[in-house]
Amino acid sequence: MKRLPILAFILIGLLGFLLIYAYEDIPVFGDPDAPPIKYTKLFSMAAQGLEDQLNQGLIPKELISKLEERGFPRPSRVESDPGSQNEWNVFIPKEESHYAKEEKYYFILKEGNNLTVYRYAFVVRWIEKGFEETGVPNMVTYGLADYRSYDTLGETIVIFTAGISVILLLRRRGKL
Amino acid sequence: MKEDKGDRSIVIETISRLMLPFIQLFSMYVIIHATCGPGGGFQGGVVFGSSVILYIITFSLTDGRKRFPELVNIVLNSCGLYIYLGIGLLSILFSAGAAQYLNYGFIPFTGHFEENRALGIELVEIGIGLIVMATVASIFFNLVHKAEPRNGGEETD
Repeated sequence: MKRLPILAFILIGLLGFLLIYAYEDIPVFGDPDAPPIKYTKLFSMAAQGLEDQLNQGLIPKELISKLEERGFPRPSRVESDPGSQNEWNVFIPKEESHYAKEEKYYFILKEGNNLTVYRYAFVVRWIEKGFEETGVPNMVTYGLADYRSYDTLGETIVIFTAGISVILLLRRRGKL
Repeated sequence: MKEDKGDRSIVIETISRLMLPFIQLFSMYVIIHATCGPGGGFQGGVVFGSSVILYIITFSLTDGRKRFPELVNIVLNSCGLYIYLGIGLLSILFSAGAAQYLNYGFIPFTGHFEENRALGIELVEIGIGLIVMATVASIFFNLVHKAEPRNGGEETD
């Protein structure tokens, strides 16, 4: 009887410590460049010689082979990022079953002597392409009713089922 | 219909008589405005359902049932789902072989692809609004009904 509160106290303390430890990794609220919102890191490679090719718009052979080794789609075009000097956007070609148009898929960042290859998160495409694809300015609405339409259909069926079961269970016929 | 009006307050009755049309208009505005501002089917439907609840609280359950019969309730509940499923089915039919995923753009509402998508979103939101409104109203109707005999035939407060 006496040991239980002490155990609980230790457990709560450990949980609190874990929360403080994990807080370091939680992105700042509303930060558009936070890792889970913007990218996934794939790999890095040596920068020498490749930088010039990237600046001329050529795709280095090493990059293609490394990407294919990991099973990622083959790039079609490189374009240096208009905002920054050491950043390039890599596009993948139009593929009828997945992408109707050319897609911005990877970006390469120069860090010291290495080039690091990242893949864009889906949310980036959601934010950039949403208005031109659906013609609706509200990001939440086109997400809810267009991109995630099946999800919303499921939610709606849940509500419908709740309403029908309330009617079936609680109704008294002919009392009103 | 003719119940004793002893515990009815004239202030509440007048105020809710004035407010009900505006609440319902606002809920429709929330549903229609979903594409270019905050709002949507779920929110607008809940606002409309709460206007029905306000009517039942102010007047009586019998009056509420007269205004909003159970048949209408069930029909609206199913209609919302049929609108949603119908839009989805239409987009499957019209985009067969052409689309990469379920795409409202192929339904020929207008000549413009993106406009079709926006209209599809709009109709889907209306369907959601109908379902949520009917469900909220039916939950309140049936819960109040269940508690009725205990309190001597009158609705709960």
